[in-house]
Amino acid sequence: MTSRFHALAWLIWALAAAISLQLAPSPLYVAVVIGIATLVVQVHGSDGPFARAFPVLLTLGVVFMVIRVALTAATTHTGIGTELFTTPSFTLPQLLGGFTVGGPVEAEVLFQAAAEGFVVVGVMAVFGAFNAVVSHYELVQSTPRAFYELGLVVTVALAFVPSTIQAVVAVREADRARTGGRVVRRGRLIRQAIPVLESGMERAVNLAESMDARGFAYGGASPLDRVAGWAGFASLLALGGAFVALVGRASTVALALGAAGVGLLLVAVWAASAARHRSRYRPRHFTTADGAMAGIAMLAPIGIAALSAWGESTLTWAASPLHWPAFAALPVIALTALLAPMIRVPPVNAAEPPDTAGRRELVSDRGSAAK
Amino acid sequence: MNQPARGLTYSRVSFRYPDSPGIALRDVDLEVEGGEILLVAGGSGSGKSTLLRAANGLVPHTSGGQFSGNVLAFGRSTRTHRPRELADVVGFVHQDPEAQFVVDHVERDLAFVLENLGHEPQAMRRRVEEVLDALGIAQLRERAPTSLSSGERQRCAIAGALAAAPAALVLDEPTSQLDPQGADDVLAAIGRLNADLGTTVLLAEHRLERAAPLADRAVIFEAGSIVASPGPPAAVLAGYAGAPPVTHLARLLGWEPLPLTVRDARRLAVEAGRANRSDRSDRSDGSNGLDGCKPPPPDAPGEAQGEAPGELLLDATGVHVELGGRTVLADVSVSARQGEVIALLGRNGAGKTTLLRVLGRLLTARAGSIEGPGTVAYVPQDPNTLLFAATVRAELEQTLHLLGRRDHGDVDHWLAALDLTHLAGRHPRSLAGGERQRVAVAAVAVGGADVLLLDEPTRGMDAPSRAGLERALRAHAEAGGAVVLATHDVELAARSAGRVVVLGDGDVVASGPARTVLAGSLFAPQVLRVLPPFLTVDEVARAQGVPAAPAGRVEP
Amino acid sequence: MSVDTAALLRRIPGGSDRPGGRRARPLAVYVLTTILGTAAFLYPFWIPGESLPSSAHAGDAPLVAALVGALVVAAISLEVRRGTMNGATVAILGVLSAFAGLGRLLDLPGNNAGMLFLVVLGGAAFGARFGLLLGMCTMAVSAFITGGIGPWLPFQMLALGWMGAGAGLLSRATARADARAEVVALAGYAWVWGFLYGAIMNLWFWPFQRGGSLSWYPGLGFADTLHRYWSFYVATSLGWDAATALANALLVLILGIPILRSLRRFAHRLHPVVELVDIDET
Repeated sequence: MTSRFHALAWLIWALAAAISLQLAPSPLYVAVVIGIATLVVQVHGSDGPFARAFPVLLTLGVVFMVIRVALTAATTHTGIGTELFTTPSFTLPQLLGGFTVGGPVEAEVLFQAAAEGFVVVGVMAVFGAFNAVVSHYELVQSTPRAFYELGLVVTVALAFVPSTIQAVVAVREADRARTGGRVVRRGRLIRQAIPVLESGMERAVNLAESMDARGFAYGGASPLDRVAGWAGFASLLALGGAFVALVGRASTVALALGAAGVGLLLVAVWAASAARHRSRYRPRHFTTADGAMAGIAMLAPIGIAALSAWGESTLTWAASPLHWPAFAALPVIALTALLAPMIRVPPVNAAEPPDTAGRRELVSDRGSAAK
Repeated sequence: MNQPARGLTYSRVSFRYPDSPGIALRDVDLEVEGGEILLVAGGSGSGKSTLLRAANGLVPHTSGGQFSGNVLAFGRSTRTHRPRELADVVGFVHQDPEAQFVVDHVERDLAFVLENLGHEPQAMRRRVEEVLDALGIAQLRERAPTSLSSGERQRCAIAGALAAAPAALVLDEPTSQLDPQGADDVLAAIGRLNADLGTTVLLAEHRLERAAPLADRAVIFEAGSIVASPGPPAAVLAGYAGAPPVTHLARLLGWEPLPLTVRDARRLAVEAGRANRSDRSDRSDGSNGLDGCKPPPPDAPGEAQGEAPGELLLDATGVHVELGGRTVLADVSVSARQGEVIALLGRNGAGKTTLLRVLGRLLTARAGSIEGPGTVAYVPQDPNTLLFAATVRAELEQTLHLLGRRDHGDVDHWLAALDLTHLAGRHPRSLAGGERQRVAVAAVAVGGADVLLLDEPTRGMDAPSRAGLERALRAHAEAGGAVVLATHDVELAARSAGRVVVLGDGDVVASGPARTVLAGSLFAPQVLRVLPPFLTVDEVARAQGVPAAPAGRVEP
Repeated sequence: MSVDTAALLRRIPGGSDRPGGRRARPLAVYVLTTILGTAAFLYPFWIPGESLPSSAHAGDAPLVAALVGALVVAAISLEVRRGTMNGATVAILGVLSAFAGLGRLLDLPGNNAGMLFLVVLGGAAFGARFGLLLGMCTMAVSAFITGGIGPWLPFQMLALGWMGAGAGLLSRATARADARAEVVALAGYAWVWGFLYGAIMNLWFWPFQRGGSLSWYPGLGFADTLHRYWSFYVATSLGWDAATALANALLVLILGIPILRSLRRFAHRLHPVVELVDIDET
């Protein structure tokens, strides 16, 4: 399951889109970003099990938005907005918060909440697209060698998923077989959960033997490991200090300590990665195309930030007074940088087996002949 | 591979698992010479798995426990070297084809060992290509192991062990979970590796019909020690219960040298026949060699002597099943009467399991009817899907409890029938494979069903367990029940079944008495191919008037 | 093993690369990361109003917090992998993560319960460090399975990791009690965490809600923020979390004893103890 671009490039793209959303939260621009994300999924989406991620996360975002809108509309009454309708109201007991639910529902409140919820929908759409287009194996492969074992756990777990599902099906049937085809509900949970668990654990032990026999954990500790350990510890201290400084309202100190913390953590990760003796088989290298895509995508948040610094007013939208969101060409142009993944479009018949490729051509010929 | 051609040396190796009272290995001395194939035969729980794992340090470093003595693997001692430090000299393959893949992608899993050992990327590419060709799995490189057949999966697992070009390969019952085709492929691959690359092979197997001819030497293991010193396979396996039927046959009839394959046995049969004819002028008893004069007993084994089958217990007619858009069974009719043991034979995918599931009321057929007064119970292929209780006895009692029966008398009956009484208090998951399968059969059979449907019950079972199961099934049939067995094991069918039904691509291809159906087909048992019309060694023995040797005992 | 030979027993703690005495630094790291992580996701309560440029950018805060969460996860991962990470640990973690990750897909009323209860039992069976790893890996695997990788992931991993670690500590505390008492304690723990988990994740999403009496404003002071959050929580996820908590507790109660018994049979594989006996050449 390979993807046109390196997993890290996709991650940068997703982050660029998310940051753009935060910088330009007007519903119009959010809609543009969601549209771009949908297009990317259409073109680059893999057929694997994660293809559903985009619609699922999008739906989740919409549900989230609807709930939040209803909640805000029901509990916020400024008294100065345009009333749409009134619902019966009641006040919750103090124990449960003591706030009032119901009452006049105002248009401004409704639209403001909808606009803010829409931004969340945008974030969900962006990450849904990310999940749908990236190769998860490459994502795990790209983690620094310092986290190799944890990435391996995820890989092993993903390899176990299909056999677990098969095991559950087999166990359910065996349970019915025991009683001559009848389903006995009482105690079913234990009778079915335990065999799946035990078989899985036994398989894990066999896998562990296979891994040990194949050289897993070859090579012991090295001095770089110790460097990594202390650097990590120091970075945590620095980050803690940054938090304390933040509470103490010394923002420059906080920023400095935060930067130091991040830097020390990077040192720790580098040291831990260098301490490992492993090599990588056919790793996916970050090519110039990947860099180009990531670079172009980053132009979007940078452009929006520049526009915002120049005082572009259409980037944010407030519901009161009630008005249509304004449209300006420059932010949209900046956002089109998020179309960067289109610089390498996968060929249409790439994954097709030879015998259906011919059939497709026939259909398209007929289609073009009908025009 | 430029390792010196020293091999694996075990010196006075003793081992005990943690928290286990028993001793797994007792003072074992064994020398595996470089470049040979050494076959280790032994029953379940005999310690041969432990022996194999000691070769690359899995015992004691991964399992824990008390270890004494020394194992030298090409000059490296397992006392001081962990398994990961021996990965480049010894490769290990397990019997479970599902549990050996780290990544769900064949090519990347192959490279796992190379990545661990820190090879250069270029060298890794070359090694992966070489090993894909050596095992003949180059066309599977992009596939996910879960989508492969178990034979293909095992070959990929062997490739994974072989990628670092180890000098030795240790395989623990690699074919026990496979169908005959897959087993053939795996053993052929092992033979090729040994012949072309000179890889030393240490192999443990139950299924000796295929593995024994492959081996240079064989050794028998029991209760943690070697009971038959390594030597030529035929000689060593002569008295072993799990030896191929032709070996038992030759021993019975006094043929020399003991054969391991049907081909060798046929040659001996022809020679003995010639000798017999020339001798007949001198001798009159015809006791040496071919017994063409004495016809086999008219009734097939598995049916009670002289009794006609009883009333109809189960009658399936015109069963038609479609799964996933494919017609799995088309117009299949099967009936089971009291006292019958029926064997269901057929290739993988011919529909045997589906038919059993339909008969067991676990699957509804699209068309056809299943009638009959007899109750049915289905024993699934994998005993691990059934076992969940804390003791064997509790497992059986659970079934009765689920069926709403208070009286637990049948529990003891079935424990005794399957030789499980001494294991009644043990945790089912601590038992070896063959014993677990017997527990599963008991757990289903205790429900008192008339017709028992067993799906591949002898997969991975050693000879004593098989014999115990066969006895119990025969007893059940004689007591008025019926048994339908789906199996690949033709010998099992020959020994136990009175009737045989062969399925092919969803149709009943043949159905009738065992003798007629098995003769002249691909499913002929070994004895039938050598000495028609006898089906089993027991028949020959009975015709000779010699009492058949009790199965399951190793004789000196 | 011949009992009458003079034996020189050498015990090798299998698989561990760390000498026994140096436990100070890991402990300090775990404590620090707990404090930092907790502070990071509790930022709505203590972050002063001036540190955010404008209320329109209140929605940035969750993303920054996510970044901090990711750093904390990285720090924990660096430390935790330095101990025993033999093949058995990786394999067992992988299998249990797969089960728990799939468990999330069961349609239970509170749908996380299928995942949460197994992490609790896994941590109880194998110890706090394993529970921490199990929680983090389960969340990662679940995110991969459901295609839910996003800025919410670091906190999900931390929350689940703490849950697993706490279960390990709890089981150590109840080590001398009998099995049923332990399971009841774990069930109570799982019930509490049903709410806690929901509260933590809801807290992360809270600043996205702007405007209104239930939303968040930086610098309101602890008591006020808490009151607002409590109202928000009641309105949005109290019912859902109550169902999750109940399902958690029930699953632990029903399946606790058999699952713990099954899992503990494999505990020795995680830390194999090897005794090499030297035989005297008599």
